Amino acid sequence: MRTTRYYAKTKRGQEPETVDVSPLGGQRYAVTYLGAKHELESLVLPHGAVSLIIDGESYAVEFEEVGDEVRVLVKGQVTKVDVADERKMRMRAAGGSFTVEGKQTIAAPMPGKVVKVFVKVGDTVTEGQGIVVVEAMKMENELKSPKAGKVVEVAAVEGTAVENGAKLVVVE
Amino acid sequence: MAPRFKRVLVANRGEIAIRVMRTCRELGLSTVAVYSEADRSALHVRQADQAYCVGPPPSRESYLSQDAILDAAKKAKADAIHPGYGFLSENASFVRACDAAGIAFIGPPASAMDAMGEKTRARAHMVKANVPVVPGATEPFKTLEEARAFAEKVGFPVMLKAAGGGGGKGMRRIEKMADFESGWRAAKSEAMSSFGNDAVYLEKYLDQPHHVEIQVFADGQGNCIHLNERECSAQRRHQKVIEETPSPILNPTLRAQMGDVAVRAAKSVGYIGAGTVEFLVDSTRSFYFLEMNTRLQVEHPVTEWVTGLDLVRWQLDVAQGARLPFLEPLHPRGHSIEARVYAEDPGQNFMPSPGRIDYLRIPGGPYVRDDSGVYAGYEVPRFYDPMISKLSVWAPTRPEAIARLDRALSEYVVKGITTNLRYLRRILQHPDFVKGDYDTGFLPRAHDQLLGGDDAKLTEVAVLAAAVYAQQRAEKAATKISAATATGTQGSMWRHGRQR
Repeated sequence: MRTTRYYAKTKRGQEPETVDVSPLGGQRYAVTYLGAKHELESLVLPHGAVSLIIDGESYAVEFEEVGDEVRVLVKGQVTKVDVADERKMRMRAAGGSFTVEGKQTIAAPMPGKVVKVFVKVGDTVTEGQGIVVVEAMKMENELKSPKAGKVVEVAAVEGTAVENGAKLVVVE
Repeated sequence: MAPRFKRVLVANRGEIAIRVMRTCRELGLSTVAVYSEADRSALHVRQADQAYCVGPPPSRESYLSQDAILDAAKKAKADAIHPGYGFLSENASFVRACDAAGIAFIGPPASAMDAMGEKTRARAHMVKANVPVVPGATEPFKTLEEARAFAEKVGFPVMLKAAGGGGGKGMRRIEKMADFESGWRAAKSEAMSSFGNDAVYLEKYLDQPHHVEIQVFADGQGNCIHLNERECSAQRRHQKVIEETPSPILNPTLRAQMGDVAVRAAKSVGYIGAGTVEFLVDSTRSFYFLEMNTRLQVEHPVTEWVTGLDLVRWQLDVAQGARLPFLEPLHPRGHSIEARVYAEDPGQNFMPSPGRIDYLRIPGGPYVRDDSGVYAGYEVPRFYDPMISKLSVWAPTRPEAIARLDRALSEYVVKGITTNLRYLRRILQHPDFVKGDYDTGFLPRAHDQLLGGDDAKLTEVAVLAAAVYAQQRAEKAATKISAATATGTQGSMWRHGRQR
């Protein structure tokens, strides 16, 4: 079965750790994390409750979603876990802020629809300013300018579909 | 005297309103709730036989509105008003208003409340009744010289307090005579700027004392007994978090001494009903009167556990003229501990976290009691105390009671709002608490320890669980999309592309 890679953080500023999840059928999964492979059976119950059996050990787990993070309650300990898949990581890379030099292309991080274009050629933008909103899976994702500068090209057109990696806006 | 109450209005909200109504129901008494506009959906309204709105959300305009509450009592034809704790429970003018309206106030007479109500007045009464008080002055000082001479007499460290102050403000600790003059001036100017009154008095400073209180009960025939102590030294920001009885620092001799003094204090002011005499106990086990709470205490369940009594029932009986059923001291049976579950974030300086409770699971099992005022789907309002529940347990011994409360807390699940549940468990597991060696400085001192230190294994389990949960949700979403595509609705090219 196909393995999906997830990136998990439990502390702010921490480098994400990889968690590889392979479905074994039903609610069973093989999971590799921190160099160890585990077999998990995860029975999802109502109200965010999960009955989890990891290599034979039973855990009553409660989930609570707060923004991008999930709060995971296990044996009285609450751990905030930020879990992202590849797609989300790409979104974040596009939406994140870095100090960058030169011409920067803001590209679609996934296939979707351009819902909103906030800028036109010649506009001055600041780092982190919202440039384009792309909708995918019924979620609107605002793409931000990676740097302060001037908009030199706008390829995105509101209402049109875009492919993964399509050029949307160029900032210099 | 034969019981004469038929209908009792509970002038309170939350868990204590429900606690009082439960006993009323068991006694076949009809119950009347009052609620503010913010509390229409509160549990105590649903539990009562009748309910009346007493005003807008702020307590001042609703739960503290004497007229509105008396109006409700008249409309409901209530014979008696139980004030719970807080709000109007220690308000002598409300007691007089009830008397004037011919409605029984379930609590002490107004005169006893007057005597205990104000700190310096209560202190003067206690000195007269030969009850030990923290050495200090009852009156503000006129001059620096006078204050200095007094400080010399009681011994350093001393605490300068603003006469018009309260809530921990306008207090200044002074270690030695050399610092006295500058401290005196600072205390006076602080008192002036904070309270518009620069009068300052002085008390001996007790270094990290224990807070131990004695439950007393008096009837209208002049009988008064004590029902042992509660240890309440686990406090954050001067608020109790965990209480237990017996106190780990009391022996039978000290218990009997403190019990006698508490009874003397209550008798000296003509007390009737349930009351609590609070003491500070220093490292030499000398004890000093702090204040008397002239009402039922939040933490009364621990006393109920070890005595087997229903204190609300006693309150109702005494208010209807009954005598106390026994007068000899009662030996505590076993051990009981209570934890207060607050909607607050201990990691953010105990900031309250009102909001909607999405999911709630209350612990159970042997000898576990939950006094709660909330339910799943309930929006905890931002206007009132953030306490949502009191969880208490009983066990034959203290170590067993700690283990039982820890176990019960581990079963407690509250989703949607932040609570102090984990913090409570950390307190129970802390070596100083386990030893029974903790004073009022314990929680502030241990604060960082009580917050930090996640269990690495549980963190790992949380990450594994979260990753698999994300995977299962993605699988479920994919199933939904393919179902939608198959039926021809909302199928778009890129969605097909994503499914592969």
